[in-house]
Amino acid sequence: MSTEVKPMQQLPPTPLQARGVGGTWATGLALVLCVAMIVGLLAMIFIGGAKTFWQKPLERVELLSGESVVGIEYRTEAQPDGTSRTLYRVGNRDLGQQPFRWISDSEVASTSIADNAILLDRQEWGIWIGVPERIYKLEDEATETVLASDTSEVWGVLQQQLDLAAKRRNETEHIRSGPIASINDKLEDLRLSDLNAHMNASREARPYRIGWAVWSVLAGLFVVFGIAATRINKPAVRRVLVILSALLLLAVYAERPWSKVPWSQERLQSHLAQTESKRAELAEEFNALNQQLAELEAEDAKYRIDVRDVTSGRLAPISRSLPNESMKLSQILRAVRPSDLGLGGKIELYFARWREFIWTNPREANTEGGVFPVIVGTLIVTLMLTVAVVPLGVLAALYMREYAKQGVVVSILRVAINNLAGVPSIVYGVFGLGFFCYGLGGVIDGGTDSAFMLKIGQWWVLVLVLAAMLFVTLTLAGKDSKNKKGWLAGGLWAATALLTVIAVFSTPYFEGFFRAKLIDGSPTFGTSGLLWASLTLALLTLPVVIVSAEEAIAAVPASLREGSYGCGASKWQTIQRVVLPGAMPGILTGAILAMARGAGEVAPLMIVGAVKLAPKLPVDGDFPYLHADRSFMHLGFHIFDLAFKSPDSEAARGFVWTTTLLLVTLVVLMNLVAIRIRSKLKAKFQSGQF
Amino acid sequence: MATQKPQPSEVRTVAHAVNNGTAFEAECHDELLNLDSVLGISKFSLWYGKSRALYDVSMDIPRGKVTALIGPSGCGKSTLLRSVNRLNDLVPSVSTDGEMLLNGRSIYDPSIDVIALRKRVGMVFQKSNPFPMSIFENVVYPLRIAGERKKSVLRETCERALKAAAIWDEVKDRLNESALGLSGGQQQRLCIARAVAVEPEVLLMDEPCSALDPIATAKIEELIHEIAGRYTVLIVTHNMQQASRVSDYTAFMYLGRLVEYGSTSHIFQNPRLTETEQYVTGRFG
Repeated sequence: MSTEVKPMQQLPPTPLQARGVGGTWATGLALVLCVAMIVGLLAMIFIGGAKTFWQKPLERVELLSGESVVGIEYRTEAQPDGTSRTLYRVGNRDLGQQPFRWISDSEVASTSIADNAILLDRQEWGIWIGVPERIYKLEDEATETVLASDTSEVWGVLQQQLDLAAKRRNETEHIRSGPIASINDKLEDLRLSDLNAHMNASREARPYRIGWAVWSVLAGLFVVFGIAATRINKPAVRRVLVILSALLLLAVYAERPWSKVPWSQERLQSHLAQTESKRAELAEEFNALNQQLAELEAEDAKYRIDVRDVTSGRLAPISRSLPNESMKLSQILRAVRPSDLGLGGKIELYFARWREFIWTNPREANTEGGVFPVIVGTLIVTLMLTVAVVPLGVLAALYMREYAKQGVVVSILRVAINNLAGVPSIVYGVFGLGFFCYGLGGVIDGGTDSAFMLKIGQWWVLVLVLAAMLFVTLTLAGKDSKNKKGWLAGGLWAATALLTVIAVFSTPYFEGFFRAKLIDGSPTFGTSGLLWASLTLALLTLPVVIVSAEEAIAAVPASLREGSYGCGASKWQTIQRVVLPGAMPGILTGAILAMARGAGEVAPLMIVGAVKLAPKLPVDGDFPYLHADRSFMHLGFHIFDLAFKSPDSEAARGFVWTTTLLLVTLVVLMNLVAIRIRSKLKAKFQSGQF
Repeated sequence: MATQKPQPSEVRTVAHAVNNGTAFEAECHDELLNLDSVLGISKFSLWYGKSRALYDVSMDIPRGKVTALIGPSGCGKSTLLRSVNRLNDLVPSVSTDGEMLLNGRSIYDPSIDVIALRKRVGMVFQKSNPFPMSIFENVVYPLRIAGERKKSVLRETCERALKAAAIWDEVKDRLNESALGLSGGQQQRLCIARAVAVEPEVLLMDEPCSALDPIATAKIEELIHEIAGRYTVLIVTHNMQQASRVSDYTAFMYLGRLVEYGSTSHIFQNPRLTETEQYVTGRFG
């Protein structure tokens, strides 16, 4: 039977929604929008940052009122009434005027390039715009030697005189930041040592303490037990001996008879006399340096320049309080005459300004100068957070993947860790302030908090309980791992760890490392600072590191692990030699993500350590070179500060762009370095096979 | 389906034993009786959780010979092999019963050091698994983890092991290059070199050629021939031609039991039990 073949029919057209044209458009559009936003953001930062240091011409604006204004045109905006107005940077803040001035177009009679005007970058009070009139040297109160007295002549002499002035300025600067700063540091050390001495002298004798005889017996027992522990091979006995000798060592150290004995008056007096004589020596040194400094400054103060403000007709003053005395040459950092600059000169100036921006300290509430300490602070806090977070995260991930039984507890833990990544960063900041700064830092500074401190007897009972628990825990851990009491061993571990923390934070023996300073009112670690900021950021980025490290560890093929075990490797050897190297590229990916996140984070830093202006770099040549207790500056916070906290927001505007560009560049650079390391590792450890 | 050959006993099949719940006695050929054995397995059983994978396996592995374990998938060959170096310990919930003696010393004695045991038993896996390190470091890995630091010892061992694995000439000029740059066959021979670097008492091979092309397979088989005599080899294979080519003795396993064990020629040419015959002639499995 043959079925009838139906003639080919015209099929109805596929409906539009079935063809999915709309879907293609929607997805494409979404992608285009995303890319456009990212590219736009980057382009905006790049353009904004790149144009800031480009020198624009100085313009001379004649107003209808007869006033002349010389300034740099910033931007023009339309007014609601149809006219427009232009913003000029006019500088000369020390005359009491606003450094930026809006001029309505309707007020303007004519605009021209100001040929003879110059622009001065100064150490204080921002820029000065004016016409130079003469350079002279004050020989004494009454006599002046004029070095140049004509506008064009002044310009020629100015450059060479500025070099000399810079030399003089550097000389005094070196004395200030070198020997004088070091004398100040030494004086501070002496002051602290006196405070310590006073503290020791006013210390109350401890109510009861063991005598030398008992102490010697304890020390002897420690030696005996310690030696016995190395000789005896029975694990249980050995464990007891090790724990006992550790206890004895703790007792011998805590109860050492010479510690914390109140100082006698004689000892105090002799100490004070000693520091006093040192102080006198330092004072002498200081006076000599000060003398030298005064001479240098007197010489420096002889060189002056008259630069007249075009609008008010007044000369650039030496300071705001001395408006009638002419400016010193050494106050000028750079003199620019925009009308003289060719393209080459402008480019040179542009890069010189970038150099200055990157390599010098900020001035004038951060609106002038550079961001060198800010870059250093950002780099160091990022490095420290990476150094803190990567080992911790990797170890935690290793335990979860390699040791822990994959069950409900680990699953819950994993979910919890993932959720931690979503906690707002400011919460970490608050936690960091409470836990690290005031909690941990307080203990480091001033010793055990009196609220938690146990009596000596109570504390030793706690320590003995802890020792017993440690013994039981270790014994259980030594048993076959497949016993059914796994949860008991785990619980005991947790309890022992908790008890250890309690014992550490309730010890009556610890008095803090910086107690004298704390009593004096200046906490060292008990306040926000570099270390706590790094640790807070480490905590913030920990989930990222754990998750990526866990994935990387899980991705190491089981066949490699088996191969290693088959060769007779222990679990730890396998982890160390096969699993970790294989997982390293993935771990580094996590580290890169952590670094990028940490470097860009601002909110927690505002609470735990970043400041507007750090007096000292967190790294320097003084021992211990890295000063983890110091506050620091950070690019992210700096941007916030410039944009919202600056006294002169218009002047800071350009710096907001350049600082943002710098932050983005820095993060990209750090990532590039890390990615390069990762790809090198990948080439070494992996091939197409995996 | 009946054959024209003299019919082996119908009752002596594993299937029969399983169906009737009776014990099954393996058929061991006479030539095995007076051999010097390096590994003695007696009444060895193994459970993964509640499911039993091995049923009272008893066999002696002769010293210096190649013994092949054959049988259909899931018959417990690999499990038996991995029990010899206690690699099964890595699987949680494994329990065992019975005895295994390596040169007279019990493998499952609670006081034995598993790590030391694994150093005495080399293993080559189905999929070559060179570590992500240089060729040199791969070969000396077992020595490194045993704490050997002397350069001269490491170098000598490396050369000896690579020569034993017949790969020395191919890699001697690039010992410091990554082992992952080698071809599949080379990688597998490298793994053999790694396994023989510490002069193991038994070399276990778990389908060492299953992932290789015919040429590489031929090379490995040749290699197994060469090292037989120096090492005792216990090899699991799916490939019956391979078993007949490389091994001196063959054990056929089925449903977790040892079915028949004898010299390779006997097992392949006149097996005594039906199931063995059916398997080696390719009629089931």
